[in-house]
Amino acid sequence: MTMSTKSLDSAPQLVIRDLVKRYHFQPVLNQLSLTLTDGDFCILVGANGAGKTTLLRILATLVRPNQGEILLGGRSLTQSPALRREIGYIGHQPMFYNDLTALENLHHYARLYAYPHPAELVRDAVQSVGLTPHQHKPVRTFSRGMQQRLSIARALLHHPHYLFFDEPYTGLDTEAAQILDAQLQYLHQPGRIILLAAHQPGRLLRMASHIAWLQDGKISHHIPAASIPEVPALQAYLQEGA
Amino acid sequence: MKSFLQYLKVIWQIFRKDFQVEWRGKQGVPVMLVFSLLVVFLFNFALQLSPTLQASLTAGLLWVSLAFASTLGLNRSISLERESNALDGLLLVPVDRSAVFFGKALSNFTFTTLVALALLPVLSLFYQQNLFHLPLVLVIVLGVGAYTGLGTLLSALSIQSRTRDVLLPILLYPLALPILIAAVEASRGILAGQPLGDLKSWIFLLLAANILFSAAGLMFFETILEE
Repeated sequence: MTMSTKSLDSAPQLVIRDLVKRYHFQPVLNQLSLTLTDGDFCILVGANGAGKTTLLRILATLVRPNQGEILLGGRSLTQSPALRREIGYIGHQPMFYNDLTALENLHHYARLYAYPHPAELVRDAVQSVGLTPHQHKPVRTFSRGMQQRLSIARALLHHPHYLFFDEPYTGLDTEAAQILDAQLQYLHQPGRIILLAAHQPGRLLRMASHIAWLQDGKISHHIPAASIPEVPALQAYLQEGA
Repeated sequence: MKSFLQYLKVIWQIFRKDFQVEWRGKQGVPVMLVFSLLVVFLFNFALQLSPTLQASLTAGLLWVSLAFASTLGLNRSISLERESNALDGLLLVPVDRSAVFFGKALSNFTFTTLVALALLPVLSLFYQQNLFHLPLVLVIVLGVGAYTGLGTLLSALSIQSRTRDVLLPILLYPLALPILIAAVEASRGILAGQPLGDLKSWIFLLLAANILFSAAGLMFFETILEE
């Protein structure tokens, strides 16, 4: 694994205050607040339709909230497009052009992020997710697991300090899930904040530092992962999903 | 200054990527070209016009073919970004999102202009009229620029819709009517040998449409794309 974090003026901190998002006048997120600090690896759990994806898409600046404030390292996310450089986002879809090869897709993203020497960066990124033997193949020939690994390489290409994963294990086979496990363990380190949405967190709970439960548009519980037994309702919910 | 250079680089990279995808897949320009040629052939054989009438219809036919072909290209351009949600990848880039608009508009403009340039000799042959006039090329550049600028903006508007393939032409054709009228009138005047001075009102209209839709992209593209 060759990816590293670049230096940051201040330690990463994510503050979400009173976030509201409505679709067709129906509130999906309702006065949601959450604070994550440097080194946190937080699993966001909640039922289907609870608003996990909406929250992550807002944090990735892909969806505009109706109300509320999001601060990354003390700076307002909506005020500065440059802050997007700090964000790595992995959504449900891999965000690639199927006719281009893995290398060409990553080159495209490296150029968008204005790296002066993208070749080396891209080569390292492909290597870090174990796709070097397939780097010259079009993405359309990739399995779901390979596309997800390439998505991780894309999201980490610019060494972001805030990582948002939306159900990254969906559709992965055992081998791909193990590779993702290893990557998450590696990424969980000071200088970075990880927020990962999972309907069924399962083994992720052993890796995570915190868990946040999204219910009725709000974070009803945000506790250290070790404290789950202290919240019987949450424990019951997690066991139900397992 | 540094951020403006980065902005320009993003525009260039989006254009370059679209070109790369087109070169690899060959699903855009060839389809647009074949479609526009078919329109020319069909009109030629269906209408059986006298040479005098043909001459007066050439400009109209050129722009009808281009408008249809360009709409196909715009639809292809949207589906490319919809595929695997690649558009999200562009929106995550840390520059003002109007750069995405200008990048996509530049590709759409280039592909349609290429089709127009390939169409000129065919129309010249079928309608026995020399279409290789520099002022006509200028009108094509201005007309295609305005049409694809508006089309790119509307394709962003329709991208979230399930019926986007139908929605785009329904939105585009009525709004593009002033552009098409100006382009046809200016082209017809040039082919009839009128001095450019007599056509300046149409040319200025096309120029104004280019400025208007560029400004609209600059101001509204981000709002349109954010759900």
